[in-house]
Amino acid sequence: MAYPYRHEKEVRLLSEHFGDLEARTVEGWKARGGYEGLARALEIGRERVVEEVKTSGLRGRGGAGFPTGLKWSFMPKDQTRPHYLLCNADESEPGTFKDRELIRWTPHQLLEGCLIGAYAIGASHCYIYLRGEFFEATQVLARALEDAYDANLAGKDVLGSGVDLDVTLHVGAGAYICGEETGLMNSLEGRRGEPRIKPPFPAAVGAFGMPTTINNVETLCAVPGIVKNGGDWYRQWGTEKSPGTKLFCVSGHVNKPGNYELPLGFPLMELIEDVCGGVRDGNALKAVIPGGSSVPIMTAEECSACSLDYEGVVECGSMLGCASVIVMDETADIVKQVRRMAYFYAHESCGQCTPCREGTAWATKILERIEDGRGTEEDLDTLLQIGDQMTGTTICVLSDSLAAPVRSSIEKFRDEYLALIRRGERVGAA
Amino acid sequence: MSDAPFKNPGWAGNTGEFDLTEADVRGTEFVGHRPPEGGHPAAAPSYPYMLADKAPDAPLFEGPYKERLEKIRGRYPNARAVLLPALNLAQEIRGHVSPETMDAVAEELGLASAYVRGVATFYTMYNKRPVGRHLIQVCTNISCNLCGADEVLAAFLEHTGTEMGETSADGNFTVVEAECLAACGFPTCVQINSRYFENVNEADVPQILDRLKSEEGEG
Ligand SMILES: Cc1cc2nc3c(=O)[nH]c(=O)nc-3n(C[C@H](O)[C@H](O)[C@H](O)COP(=O)(O)O)c2cc1C
Ligand code: SF4
Ligand code: FES
Repeated sequence: MAYPYRHEKEVRLLSEHFGDLEARTVEGWKARGGYEGLARALEIGRERVVEEVKTSGLRGRGGAGFPTGLKWSFMPKDQTRPHYLLCNADESEPGTFKDRELIRWTPHQLLEGCLIGAYAIGASHCYIYLRGEFFEATQVLARALEDAYDANLAGKDVLGSGVDLDVTLHVGAGAYICGEETGLMNSLEGRRGEPRIKPPFPAAVGAFGMPTTINNVETLCAVPGIVKNGGDWYRQWGTEKSPGTKLFCVSGHVNKPGNYELPLGFPLMELIEDVCGGVRDGNALKAVIPGGSSVPIMTAEECSACSLDYEGVVECGSMLGCASVIVMDETADIVKQVRRMAYFYAHESCGQCTPCREGTAWATKILERIEDGRGTEEDLDTLLQIGDQMTGTTICVLSDSLAAPVRSSIEKFRDEYLALIRRGERVGAA
Repeated sequence: MSDAPFKNPGWAGNTGEFDLTEADVRGTEFVGHRPPEGGHPAAAPSYPYMLADKAPDAPLFEGPYKERLEKIRGRYPNARAVLLPALNLAQEIRGHVSPETMDAVAEELGLASAYVRGVATFYTMYNKRPVGRHLIQVCTNISCNLCGADEVLAAFLEHTGTEMGETSADGNFTVVEAECLAACGFPTCVQINSRYFENVNEADVPQILDRLKSEEGEG
């Protein structure tokens, strides 16, 4: 067993070769069926590649779940200006740790996806924006990219097709907000990673002012298989509206945290109980954050009938996000964790919008006060009010991303807040 | 497969869950030695090295580094876009990015000094002042926090005898708190210079520090 995070219920379309060192090399990747998708793409032409991806129903894995084929079809058809593909490898949403694994174990899968994606949208250059902390993974990808150039899989006249496709690795310098698509574009251009107001949308005015598409690492990794096997093939897994497989990043209080690739629509409780070996120490489940720290928190009760697809999680009061399942058992301190999240968003706010800049800092202060036992019940109302003012009022959704866990935790775990507040009152009275 | 909780030896610990070596898991064997002039131009902007041995006064864009900068220039449509890779390179050489270094980068790229400072200070990975040979960044965000990250951070501070953000008297260690490092399933994750240590417990800390002290060069 080379890669320890395995379960028989997995459907490993993307993660089959994790832990397999041969898969890092061009020859090894080819021997595993790699680069056939690229060859087929060049053969069938751009429009049909976009059609296959549309047929597959693949949805963006970076969090928003926007249909990838549709996004690609927004790119202008004229070739009078350069077009760009950006690969978002800035993975920094707390709870998410799939892109780094994809990059370091299957670098050619990502490169193949980038090459096909760039070709499909009429771009001749793809930038892969990697977060600066990913030194090890980036070096693996760098070596793979050099090998791909040597094998004429990238560069001029790819595989003798007459098409030029360049890929450049670009490394960030530590800022969560550079994962937001327009923040990433500004950062790539050598600016502060401040998100831009939309419209104009990136397909019209993106990186360097040119038509641009941006996709997550996992999204692009899914593309070679779809192009090679056809869009319908991908639909045999998942649900009608959320087809295919997804890497679920499970962390927190489970016996076997890790990345597990499962069909979308997989039951949440089965993921926790079976695939991840249950809650640690046989403890009771208290709460789950199903999609990374930016989505509403769920109670154990809400989890019981939840299926992990984009629609299913919404029905249960949260969002699938990037499928980063953070599990908390009965020992977890909800207020402390929400306070830690608030601190994160306050730290990472780019500061352009007042509701976000002030709201994240203010919420952090109030939560710290409550945690210290110096809070009052009115503080909870204030937090909810701040949350309202932070929602739907800013350039990007970082602001909403804190409002969601704050609001949901107060609504669903009010008792925990009250216990801290009352404990403080008692201590104060003594 | 056993039901026991398992560890990932992506860090120093030889916990045996992979039948791969640490070098394999990290990819260092596959990558080999990366040349300072940047290898293929496509990969040249991708070296966020944090070397243990820093040279705060070394010249910035000379010899192989000049070569790398030229390769980087060729990959972007304008000089502004070269800014982050150039700052990365400067930090690789000097270990931190002082105001003078920012000015030197500005001059090299033909950008205004004030502009470069505005950008450089936006990003947390640019050390604005010197740090220890080993910069220890402990993730205390939610997934790690649920599994004891606060204790790991405290242990690093205790065993290095430092306050948060301060450098130990021997110049070896600076310990800071980090945000999520995208290794949440392997808590606690600690980034030390360019390397991730995963599944770190309080008890592992002295051993990790000993290992760092005995190492030279890149790490
Ligand atoms: C604050 C913020 C941070 C984000 N961080 C990331 C990230 O680290 N990685 C990512 O792929 N998408 C991230 N996104 C989503 C991107 O903006 C974008 O939707 C995504 O990269 C599009 O790719 P996809 O369609 O393939 O999902 C973030 C969004 C926001 C608002
Ligand atoms: S919402 Fe926050 S992070 Fe997003 S642009 Fe506004 S200030 Fe910046
Ligand atoms: S929360 Fe620590 S690495 Fe993600």
